[in-house]
Amino acid sequence: MPAIIKYSEEELVAELQRRNQHAFAYLYDNYAGALNGIIHRLVEDKELAEDILQEAFVKIWNNFSSYDTTKGRLFTWMLNLTRNLTIDTLRSKGYKKQSKISGDENSVSNFTDNSAIAEKFDALGIRKQLVNLKPEQRSIIDLAYFNGYTQDEISKEMGIPLGTVKTRMRSAILELRKMLQ
Amino acid sequence: MDVQDIISSGLLELYAAGLASSQEMAQVEHWLKQYPEVAAELKAIESGLEQYAHLNAIDPAKEIKDKIFAAINSVSTGKKTNTVSSNNAPVAKVIPINNYWKWVAAASVVLLIGSAAMNVLYYNRYDTASDGLKETLQQLAAAEQKNNEEETIAKIFHDKNSTPVSLKETGAAPGATAKIFWMQDTKQVMVDASNLPDPPAGKQYQFWAIVDGVPVDGGLIITNDKGKKLRLQSMKSFGRAEAFAISLEKVGGNPKPTEVVSMGKII
Repeated sequence: MPAIIKYSEEELVAELQRRNQHAFAYLYDNYAGALNGIIHRLVEDKELAEDILQEAFVKIWNNFSSYDTTKGRLFTWMLNLTRNLTIDTLRSKGYKKQSKISGDENSVSNFTDNSAIAEKFDALGIRKQLVNLKPEQRSIIDLAYFNGYTQDEISKEMGIPLGTVKTRMRSAILELRKMLQ
Repeated sequence: MDVQDIISSGLLELYAAGLASSQEMAQVEHWLKQYPEVAAELKAIESGLEQYAHLNAIDPAKEIKDKIFAAINSVSTGKKTNTVSSNNAPVAKVIPINNYWKWVAAASVVLLIGSAAMNVLYYNRYDTASDGLKETLQQLAAAEQKNNEEETIAKIFHDKNSTPVSLKETGAAPGATAKIFWMQDTKQVMVDASNLPDPPAGKQYQFWAIVDGVPVDGGLIITNDKGKKLRLQSMKSFGRAEAFAISLEKVGGNPKPTEVVSMGKII
């Protein structure tokens, strides 16, 4: 068995640029769940969701050279790639952009679907804190970050003026950061 | 736009959440190269969102990892790679579990989660209730103390032996007035000092009885005990006096008054 290595983000990126498959396995172990969570926001079909996750990781591996560290964190890049792939796949299959989740209090409910029970209890405290996030703050983050809505779509979905989306998003993320600290 | 304006503009949040237009993205990417503080703020925003995504994680099926590795190794053409099989760990024997036990296990997990959630809920309620009770008890104790004080004051006030004396300000310290209750039977002197202004730092009020034209020390007055105004305090007893006075002295008092701030004759 290979020794358990922990990579910092810089090391991980450097190793992936060197095409190190150990690093790729580490990437999968640490991020597949989070990316899978994104896919499940948009896709109900379990098999289709699994296909998309596979395709996303193959793309991450093959297109890794296009990740530019100066433009943001690795996860943001992977998330954008995964979300866009999911939306494109759904579109090609004739699905409309779904609002599987809406801004209700269930938007962290996927959390209970996670089979890693130990993690659940570790995170229980944080989850309790997230309940303090106002529903409209959670939904604006969810719609943009998870569902890939545009500012225009968010403004329509939430019934707020287009010009308010930016300020709402900023205050929602500030609140989220405060809670996660 | 300076760094602080950029950070508070909300554009970094739009960028991180994938909402920025291509024009805005180009602008943000330009700033990221120009200002390290902006890059650091974006990283913090992204980390927050990333943690949020991890909280919403769903574990994928076990076999997906193998399929991905199979796929990348079949398409990697000639490129030298450090290959690794994701299942080179010793494989545990898989024993099929019948459906009944699967349901039991699933149900117990659901119950466990439910019960944990209830624990959190009830603990919070208990916490709130317990805090509320504590607060009420404190309020009650404070009210009781105040009531006792008022009763003592009322008793002294109504006592037929008590002679009230009002001390008026002399002008040295504006607002320096006080009430004295002089008990004819016990010769006890009580001062209500609650109307005296707090003394300046390094100073203290001293009480005097004027006996045969000479001020006699009646003790030091405390006006304030940890932010709380003191109502009635007992001073030295006097058998006879023509007047009472309060002066401002150095802490610890003086043998003779130096700055009389309040004075009243006995009628």
